[in-house]
Amino acid sequence: MNAILTIARKEYQLALRSVTSYIVFVLFLVISGAAFATTLFKINLAELRGIYSIIHLLFIFFIPAITMGSIAKERSSGTIELLSTLPIRLSQVVWGKILCAFLQVLTLLAFCLIYFGIVMVLGENIDYGAVILGILGLAFAALAYISIGVFASSLPSNQVLAFVLALVISGFFYVIRFLLALAPLSLVRYLQFFSFDYHLSGFMKGVLDIRDLLFFVAVTLIFAFLAEFNLQSKNMMQER
Amino acid sequence: MIEIQNLSRHFGALKAVDEISFSVSSGTITGFLGPNGAGKTTTMRMMVGYLQPSAGSILLDGKSIFADPIATSTKIGYLPELNPLYDEMFTQEILRYIADLRKMPATLFAQRLEYVVEKCGLQDVLTQRVGTLSKGYRQRVGLAMAILHDPEILILDEPTSGLDPNQILEIRELIRTLGTQKTVLLSSHIMQEVQALCDRVLIINKGKIIVDDEIGKLSSYFKDHQILHLELEAEDADFGEFMEYHPDLQIISQTQEGDNFKMQIKMPADLDIKYDLARFIAENGWLIVSLYTQEKSLEEIFYNLTKEGGQLPKPAFEEKDLEDAEELPSAVDTAEDEGEEEL
Repeated sequence: MNAILTIARKEYQLALRSVTSYIVFVLFLVISGAAFATTLFKINLAELRGIYSIIHLLFIFFIPAITMGSIAKERSSGTIELLSTLPIRLSQVVWGKILCAFLQVLTLLAFCLIYFGIVMVLGENIDYGAVILGILGLAFAALAYISIGVFASSLPSNQVLAFVLALVISGFFYVIRFLLALAPLSLVRYLQFFSFDYHLSGFMKGVLDIRDLLFFVAVTLIFAFLAEFNLQSKNMMQER
Repeated sequence: MIEIQNLSRHFGALKAVDEISFSVSSGTITGFLGPNGAGKTTTMRMMVGYLQPSAGSILLDGKSIFADPIATSTKIGYLPELNPLYDEMFTQEILRYIADLRKMPATLFAQRLEYVVEKCGLQDVLTQRVGTLSKGYRQRVGLAMAILHDPEILILDEPTSGLDPNQILEIRELIRTLGTQKTVLLSSHIMQEVQALCDRVLIINKGKIIVDDEIGKLSSYFKDHQILHLELEAEDADFGEFMEYHPDLQIISQTQEGDNFKMQIKMPADLDIKYDLARFIAENGWLIVSLYTQEKSLEEIFYNLTKEGGQLPKPAFEEKDLEDAEELPSAVDTAEDEGEEEL
């Protein structure tokens, strides 16, 4: 079996045995569920756009929590020494970790399909395109955030630090949208290019623009590459 | 066959490994000996490709190990010093994981699993979580992981640390069996282990190799003299006359407490004076309480070589070296004093 799949499978199995991932899962579902229920019962609105933007916000906190241990833990426990002496490439380690975290996020999103079901039952004139593309967009955004998280996890051997770093980097991509109002007009169109929300908005409207897709793929690739590069350079210049 | 040429590794200003060269041929067990922080682990880490050398080269069958790291790692089995394992996994699972990452076919894995489980004595802990295992069992799991793919070269960083005496014997036996067909390099700071297992020994201290020789020759390096301990029940024992007959001898210490007389004599290793001495004592009517010669243990050799100021031992005794050695700060310990004379 491919090394990436082997690593991802093992990581996913271990995640299912760890209490931490259950806490993260439950918290995520409780918060997103509460937000969904509020719009549904209080405002009497059966729609998904609200919950999608809340899930996006939750990603900023929960994806770093999922990825913080991915490489930092291998480093702090020394098992990275084991991995580096096996006939696998460091890039395979990085992608294995990304794939595992992606599977975890997909599991989370699968639970969120309940909201979709509820809206289908209660709502009228549902724009299925927007609903399905919205989920797809969130999945791609999650992939990019995961890549950032894994990169952050490759920097320190301390998990908490990895979490904070991932939070700061992902937060930057998230917060840009709110900073646009303060930026000079001539810069806005360049700055907004980096905003995840800007690229997600197309998906939410049910429009699939290949440029948005490519943006998320590019962010994922860049951070995965940085993580690999970082691991390799650590390997070469390891200081005691 | 591994060849190390002028290998160096610096950590900042610290020279962990300083221009060492040696080679390990197949079918031999080589012991890598040195005190903590001597550079054993750093060297081994470089040999498995985990650390990049600052300078020098590591050749495996004539090819640099960094030319094709993937091919290299299929040939090498490595047991890291701290033996990192995934604590949440079960023993069988972790072996399976390693086999999968090494792309072992299922049938081969089944065979090898049976072999390593039997050889490393893992039958009872296969379904136990690695995190709950005792240190000895962890070490065995680590060893099982290292030999799982039947590597040509085994690099074991302190393989018997944390094992109980029975386990040590078993693991040594295993290493000995493996050593007949494979290239084994093991590190240790336990002399007896190296003595019991290895064909060759490399002693490293402060990043430099100070001894590289066959294990049998090592002790002959140092057996240029032996110490004779003598305890008598005698009043006013005087060996002046005896010493005149044997100019090679040298009295190191002598004490007289009432009836009890103790003496230590330094003499050349090939000289046997016990009979002469016993006869001399009998003629004087003294009573021997104990009489024995003490050879230098490997431990002592190791200690002398690796402590402050240790140098490459010279089989031939030179007056000049003795003077040099005496200028060094000497400790109260008699063993250390002997060491200075050794140089």
